Amino acid sequence: MSRFSGALQLTDLDDFITPSQECVKPVPIEKTKSKTGAKITIQGDGYYEETETGKQKLQKVEITLQDCLACSGCITSAEGVLITQQSQEELLRVLQENKALKTQNASEGVRTIVVTISPQPVISLAQRYNLKPEEAAKHLSGYFRSLGADYVLNTKIADDLALLECRNEFVERFRDSKSGDAAGVTPMPMLSSSCPGWVCYAEKTHGNFILPYIATTRSPQQIMGVLVKQWLARKLDCAAERIYHVTVMPCYDKKLEASREDFYSDANNSRDVDCVITSIEIEQMLISADTPLHTYTPSEIDWPWHSGTPEASVWAHEFSTSGGYSDHVFKYAAKELFDENVEVLEYKNLRNPDFREITLQHDGQVVLKFAIANGFRNIQNLVQKLKRGKAPYDFVEVMACPSGCINGGAQVRPPTGVPIHELNQQLEELYKQLPKSKPENEDTRQIYNKFFDGAHTDKAKMLLHTSYHAVEKMNTALNIKW
Amino acid sequence: MGKLALEHTLQGHKGRIWGVSWHPKGNAFASCGEDKTIRIWSLSGSTWTTKTILSDGHKRTIREISWSPCGQYLTSASFDGTTAIWSKTSGEFECIATLEGHENEVKSVSWSHSGSLLATCSRDKSVWIWELAGDDEFDCAAVLNSHTQDVKRVVWHPKKEILASASYDNTIKMYAENAADNDWYSTATLESHTSTVWSIDFDADGERLVSCSDDKTLKIWRAYPPGNEEGIFTPDNETVWKCVCTISGEHSRVIYDVSWCKKTGLIATACGDDAIRIFKEDANSQKNEPTFSMITSEDKAHLQDVNAVKWNPSQEGQLISCSDDGTIKLWKFIE
Repeated sequence: MSRFSGALQLTDLDDFITPSQECVKPVPIEKTKSKTGAKITIQGDGYYEETETGKQKLQKVEITLQDCLACSGCITSAEGVLITQQSQEELLRVLQENKALKTQNASEGVRTIVVTISPQPVISLAQRYNLKPEEAAKHLSGYFRSLGADYVLNTKIADDLALLECRNEFVERFRDSKSGDAAGVTPMPMLSSSCPGWVCYAEKTHGNFILPYIATTRSPQQIMGVLVKQWLARKLDCAAERIYHVTVMPCYDKKLEASREDFYSDANNSRDVDCVITSIEIEQMLISADTPLHTYTPSEIDWPWHSGTPEASVWAHEFSTSGGYSDHVFKYAAKELFDENVEVLEYKNLRNPDFREITLQHDGQVVLKFAIANGFRNIQNLVQKLKRGKAPYDFVEVMACPSGCINGGAQVRPPTGVPIHELNQQLEELYKQLPKSKPENEDTRQIYNKFFDGAHTDKAKMLLHTSYHAVEKMNTALNIKW
Repeated sequence: MGKLALEHTLQGHKGRIWGVSWHPKGNAFASCGEDKTIRIWSLSGSTWTTKTILSDGHKRTIREISWSPCGQYLTSASFDGTTAIWSKTSGEFECIATLEGHENEVKSVSWSHSGSLLATCSRDKSVWIWELAGDDEFDCAAVLNSHTQDVKRVVWHPKKEILASASYDNTIKMYAENAADNDWYSTATLESHTSTVWSIDFDADGERLVSCSDDKTLKIWRAYPPGNEEGIFTPDNETVWKCVCTISGEHSRVIYDVSWCKKTGLIATACGDDAIRIFKEDANSQKNEPTFSMITSEDKAHLQDVNAVKWNPSQEGQLISCSDDGTIKLWKFIE
């Protein structure tokens, strides 16, 4: 079963051509001069070119994730590509090499290993190993330290910043859209941007039509990338390229996000997130090491930010298990735009529980209408509504997985016989019990003031926002199908 | 033995004709093909004539068409990646909705018995279920990625909201809705064919399914629900489908289509060897080991591949076929 979200599983494969054959990435071939045409023979272990000096093995084509992201061809063959770049094997290899260098006291080449853990995998592993989320986070921290991590962080501060940026972006766009000043107006509704499966699908399939609707706020993973590779690097007085940043995420799509060129800095020769590892991969690593999670000595989550360590290691953001975008932006916009205090969020289910909406009444009028659309079928319905001009929303939280991030494609699978929706209910229950983070706090304030030079500055704009790129459909002769 | 008597040969489409579909009343039918048009035919006097040509709905080949159970709507599945819904509410057919979402060629479209659900499938390996949401609007109710290859055909159960799909991955899959979360999931995978399954059809009660394949065989499958009297184990409390009969040696090439007559129980096949064949269940056939015999083989039914066969839903014994040779033929089966 694929661990990508359903949105990414739609591909472009022919009846008769396998994905690798259909891959159209041009590959440079070093030509050697020969009088006759080249002769190529196929043997069990590869392709050989026959030359005067005998047979020479031809190089295998290597395709990177970036190539796949920039291509409108197949998507799932990227799954094979992931194995070489963002896998547990690769992670363990890097960590072991680093450990070896450390024990040799080598000054060259030793990297600082930073691991950032998001809440959904903690919940998933807590359920899997029958632990409380707080305990699971600490054992997980201990596990990564045993593998050689120098710092183990959580995503709380990045989750907070993502909500602050997202709500500011929304209020700005909402005011623009009502001002009647056509210049610079971005279309409404604003669609959330933290789900990479959704963003990748939008770029590949609906391109320039849909992209202007999507918020430019970076996802928590990528905000964390900036904080680790710039803020933490400066604090530790360590070059960004000397930090190896691992994030722990609930879905494979996050690996694609980390590989986007937008999140690679040429100047620092460094990627904001070097490796994404998922809940199910951690489960596999623990199984193959034959050590259940609780056998690792618990350790605290590091808190390198300004204030003292918070009282909890895992934090929820509002109620939706995908970061609370709709909930938080709704409450904030109600207060900021209409001076209404919203205490209780009352969503109304539409055709299925994964498409629900909420409205704000002000002076007897509906003034705000938000929705949460989870799962590929509801993304379809949303996109079709937008195309017909029948999407009456101001903001939509869009996630590619049914039930949102708690049900990410790479969360630990339910045991045999347990239906997935039952497991999801249990995970949602655990998530609800977590302490709730308040994004306006001393740490985010300090980060804005001391690192981003303030809240609405160019630096904040540059480092907390991103852009999207429509992928043009290819129209090569190879793509004509009967 | 019986025979197929040719009643009419109809021409009109340019190029190969991919599909034909009877109006539920059986007094009209629609046809489609690579000329990107849909033709609606009905009987005037003693001849069948084209009543309407719908030509501006699709940019590429139309692969299959399907009437809604009420006869009010016609849907067309096209290689342009869209599915069009045509309605005759104001006397003339007009396109009232275009369902977009498939990445590429849509291969098949089918209405559920109640007329409230629509299924489509595509070369993109997915099966989509659409729900009529009123006001000529259709919501996507599910996107199912169970198959590993091109999906060739979707067909709804004649009485229940159960969907079947046939694929290039050699399997047939069954789907049902999970009441707990209103999502659809695959309840069964039917494995036995050794090559592409091109088409499937249920019998009148929906307790059996016939499938035809590139492996030149027909297979009959029977449903064994939980608690069945045969004592067949049903994991996860899901109905199990078992292959109870394989008909091999009768077809010399790939079988593209199969139609199980809901009135007579006869099975008709459309074959790549240009022939149409009729099969009948034997009188002493057993429930769990049924046997069928070929009672007619119309060897040169068409000049080229026969792409589709459909039994008339109300006129016993009337069969329609279409072919790469650009003709539609109406046949009468005489026992």
